[in-house]
Amino acid sequence: MKKFLTIIKAFWQRALTYRFTVIAYRIGEMGEIVVLILMWTAIYGTQEVIKGFTLPEMITYILAGNLFHVMVRNFLSTVVAGDIKEGQLSMFLIKPMSYFSYILAREIGRISLATILSVISQFIVISFFLNVFIWNFDSVYLLVIFIMLVLAFVTELLLSYLVGLIAFWTDEVDGLYRTIERVEKFFSGGYFPLSILPAGFVNASFLLPFAYSFYVPAQLYLKKIDLATGLKGILVQLAWIVLLYGLVRVVWERGLRKYEGIGI
Amino acid sequence: MATIEVKNLSKSYEYYKKERGLFGSFKSFLFREKLYAEAVKEISFSINEGELVGFLGPNGAGKTTTLKMLSGILYPTAGEVKVLGFTPSKREKAYQKQFALVMGQKNQLLRDLPAIETFVLNKEIYEMPDDEFKRNLDELIELFEIKDILDIQVRKLSLGQRMKCELVAALLHKPKVLFLDEPTIGLDVVAQKKIRDFIKKYNQEKKTAIILTSHYMEDIRELCRRVIIINLGKIIYDGNLEDLIRKYAPHKVLTVTFNEGGASREQIEKYGEIAEYNPYGCVIKTPRSEAKNTAVALLSSDLPVDDILIDEVEIDDVVRQIFNR
Ligand SMILES: Nc1ncnc2c1ncn2[C@@H]1O[C@H](COP(=O)(O)OP(=O)(O)OP(=O)(O)O)[C@@H](O)[C@H]1O
Ligand SMILES: [Mg+2]
Repeated sequence: MKKFLTIIKAFWQRALTYRFTVIAYRIGEMGEIVVLILMWTAIYGTQEVIKGFTLPEMITYILAGNLFHVMVRNFLSTVVAGDIKEGQLSMFLIKPMSYFSYILAREIGRISLATILSVISQFIVISFFLNVFIWNFDSVYLLVIFIMLVLAFVTELLLSYLVGLIAFWTDEVDGLYRTIERVEKFFSGGYFPLSILPAGFVNASFLLPFAYSFYVPAQLYLKKIDLATGLKGILVQLAWIVLLYGLVRVVWERGLRKYEGIGI
Repeated sequence: MATIEVKNLSKSYEYYKKERGLFGSFKSFLFREKLYAEAVKEISFSINEGELVGFLGPNGAGKTTTLKMLSGILYPTAGEVKVLGFTPSKREKAYQKQFALVMGQKNQLLRDLPAIETFVLNKEIYEMPDDEFKRNLDELIELFEIKDILDIQVRKLSLGQRMKCELVAALLHKPKVLFLDEPTIGLDVVAQKKIRDFIKKYNQEKKTAIILTSHYMEDIRELCRRVIIINLGKIIYDGNLEDLIRKYAPHKVLTVTFNEGGASREQIEKYGEIAEYNPYGCVIKTPRSEAKNTAVALLSSDLPVDDILIDEVEIDDVVRQIFNR
């Protein structure tokens, strides 16, 4: 455990040396959300309800969803891919600690500063829209959302790690990552609420892991999804975590065999 | 039992042929021809505790590949490796805590933080007790004289300073076996010398088995009694450095200085092959057995000889000659 804390601490320090970059990113994030809200406000115009969302609900969806999203996301895939491509992985393979543990601790240390600042900046944006933001202090809902976010964090870590491991097979991963990111954002409901789309589509995304980082917790917050559906979602998340963990193990083993040049 | 035991070790890399030009690129996009590069071919050697062995060879000879197999980064294609009784490719923690690999071209230090942070990180990763860590660190800091640079961001250090810190990071856990892959690459002569002195001292004090690769013959000459020479993946020499010179350098060199009016080329030619010449000094190559006689002949001739030095051929030359065969 002390290992993890030391690694997290070291990467906290590293993040602090880049504090201006970290802050600059947050300003961009805030701007993007404000633009999105202005856009929806214009679209609504005089309309009361679009696809079951009032304007305050839509704004709350965007604000709460983004708040949840910044809590669970990570940037692990580029780090993992970089280590593999540059051969830096070799320096970890010779150490008495698993790369997976190391990289997880490192990523948590690396993103925690950004995450804290993002959460703060999301609250700042929310404060601009206090007159329309819908509050929900229902503790049972908040508890379910909290559990869902913790599981979403784990899911996102495993997913990014898995995507990063693609670098074992090809050097050109950057374009692929951007594409995967966009698909993920779409399925997570980050561009717009998934319920705008046909019902079959929404049902399908309940079975995928992505919606639990944005759409589902945001809808739970708005009480547009009931608790039972939320709990079912948690089971789906658990299943995904087991599945992804298994996949990570297999892909890592196979990738490593390639890296080591086994079987030639 | 020897510390490092290598038997018939081979490694082939699998790669794909890419043809030249745009058309070639399209062609290999559709179907790729698989090729194998035999980087290491059935090499065997063994190294004992406390030995410092120089691993020599031209670019692409297979040195790094061999060190990677000894560290467990690469899986051997064939053959057997045992280090301290372990099989490196199994990557057992017990083995990993007892060796270190330093590559001049790769770093383990965190670039954006002071070196001390990496040291602390390694303490945890290698599960060192506090007092042991402190003792080792203090000792290494003193040996390397890096007290003043510990708190500077690694990316702001000079190459030489960085290399010292890399070595400290690798040695904190007191490895019994050390693989150094071009640790002096890119350093100036002063920094090279410092690293060299350090390696020497460390080897003598700790009785660590060390394999060192370097393209700088000065490193090899100063540090290694024994050298293993590898070319095109095969060992072509394994033994004493001095024997190597005796065996492969049938010549000695005489460095002669003239005074007064100097001497002309024609006057010297009959004493042996002239390697360098100017009227006030020249370098003559003569067969090993003739060296003394030639010197006497030169002194008793009517040339204005001021001084004569008899030397072994530069080891660079010997090695170059071996590589070229
Ligand atoms: N990943 C790889 N894929 C294919 N071939 C490789 C790979 N790595 C090395 N090789 C080939 O294996 C051979 C040995 O390489 P190696 O790096 O071991 O040489 P070296 O002795 O360390 O050379 P240098 O002095 O330049 O560092 C070379 O011919 C090289 O082209
Ligand atoms: Mg090399």
